[in-house]
Amino acid sequence: MAEPSPTAMPTLRQLLARAHLRLILFAVLMAGLTLTVTGVTVIRGYAARNLTLIAQTVAYTVEPALVFDDVDAARRGIATVAASESVRSVELHGRDGRLIAAWNQPDRGMTGGLSRIVDALFWPSPVRVPVHHGPVVVAEVQVFGDAGGLGRYILSGVATALACLGLTIVATQLLARRLQRDVTGPLAHIADVAHAVRTDRQFDRRVPAAGIQEVDQFARDFNALLDELDEWHAGILNENRILERQATRDPLTGLGNRAMFERELTATMAQADESDTSFAVIYVDVNRFKQVNDSHGHDAGDVMLIVIAARLRMALRPGDMAFRLGGDEFALILAAGSTRTEADQLSGQIGEGMIQPIMLPSGVSIRSSLSIGSALYPQDSVDPRALLRHADAAMYAAKARGDGRN
Amino acid sequence: MRSLLFWLLLMTPTVTVALPLARPVAMPIGPGPDRMAAGVARMVGSILEFTRWPTERPVVRMCMAGAVAHGDQLDEISLSNGARIATVALAADDAAPAARCDALYLGSLDAAVRQRLIAAVRGNAVLTIAEDDRDCAGGAMFCLLFAPQTLSFQLNIDAVSRSTVRVDPRVLRVAKGGY
Repeated sequence: MAEPSPTAMPTLRQLLARAHLRLILFAVLMAGLTLTVTGVTVIRGYAARNLTLIAQTVAYTVEPALVFDDVDAARRGIATVAASESVRSVELHGRDGRLIAAWNQPDRGMTGGLSRIVDALFWPSPVRVPVHHGPVVVAEVQVFGDAGGLGRYILSGVATALACLGLTIVATQLLARRLQRDVTGPLAHIADVAHAVRTDRQFDRRVPAAGIQEVDQFARDFNALLDELDEWHAGILNENRILERQATRDPLTGLGNRAMFERELTATMAQADESDTSFAVIYVDVNRFKQVNDSHGHDAGDVMLIVIAARLRMALRPGDMAFRLGGDEFALILAAGSTRTEADQLSGQIGEGMIQPIMLPSGVSIRSSLSIGSALYPQDSVDPRALLRHADAAMYAAKARGDGRN
Repeated sequence: MRSLLFWLLLMTPTVTVALPLARPVAMPIGPGPDRMAAGVARMVGSILEFTRWPTERPVVRMCMAGAVAHGDQLDEISLSNGARIATVALAADDAAPAARCDALYLGSLDAAVRQRLIAAVRGNAVLTIAEDDRDCAGGAMFCLLFAPQTLSFQLNIDAVSRSTVRVDPRVLRVAKGGY
């Protein structure tokens, strides 16, 4: 799989993790906010009712004390009822607004200043309840609420939300990892195969089933595409082979052509150099080929060339190669390690092979003969052109001598 | 240890409620030439405020028995529901005080006479207040307690429960040795 580019392109997992984080963050915040607001509203409602109840109880309790004109008893009565967490202070005012008695929640130390602000925020005004005696209002009770409970509720809500957020981040990572394994795993398979096909030409690789509908569909299409690519590739190879064959073979005789001869000569020279041995090149020319062509037609000439090529091929030993250089000219390259003796022996063998007459399509049987000349590498020359010239010269010398009996 | 703490916490409200009861109401007695009489009038008025007769009394007939020391201003009381107080002197040998009195204010009396009067109104709608009975053993429902600067009272719960007069239970909490 190709390495991701160094530019900050996000991975699928990062994308998934980010999406999850946003989603869960949103959900937690919404839930937390809703719960907190609802909770604060409900609790404040209950607290307000509680304060009213406390105020009414205070009013009921202090009524006799007020009638008996005993401030101390009134104060004690207030303390008895108001000794609750939800009350900051209670004040008892006379009909003329004069403060008769007051009670304050014992100071809460360090948090006192802060909680006083919170108290003022949640309970900007006290709960007021009149103290009745018969039809007469004798005093008014004012109860100031304490927001400590509410504050603790909000604080614990915030703490819970933060803890949830921490869990959320961990869960997001786990979820993303899992999703990545399930989703990007199959995709990575496909990418792997694509890479192998592109760089290593492994057209036989196929993507395994993914187990996810969309990815599976994609993988199937991808595999089908690979099938087509494979076929196409095989076709190209075949065509190339044919083209190469056309380029290096003589179509009539099936022997290698001049281009292939030159290539093989170079290769064999290198081979001989490497193993420090010699090899022979043999030139063959058909005697009186032009006359056959002229008197029996080109078809007869072609048949003659095919037969001669077949006989040359039959004379070859393993490692030897035969070529048709053009017209009635043939050449042989004996395998590296061959000697002059072997070359002469093979030349003789080939010449003898021509004694048998050749049957032409017209029914006429004619006899042909060859002029053969050889050169030995590296004894005769180390230069390919000079070597060929040497062989050519030997062949013409043989022709001039009239070897081959014709 | 934890269960002890639990019980302590559980008992705390009870204790805080019970604590103030150890101290009775202390009505301050104001200045003036007749300060005791004024204090007694306010105290009796306050008691009457929390007293309910089976039927409403527009005029509370208060019978004075024995040698009353501080009852001069009792007929000046006016209650929040508009009722007035009418003081009536009661002879020590009155045969049927229950028929003529809504309240019985007992001054200094011979123990036997007091007992007879209280027995005569027992079971009737008559409120009894003793001015001169520090131990509150004479059977009156309320006994006034005099201190140099303040005035308080004691409640005889047995007498209150025998009477058909209803006393607001909150008064119990401001009485000496209340509940």
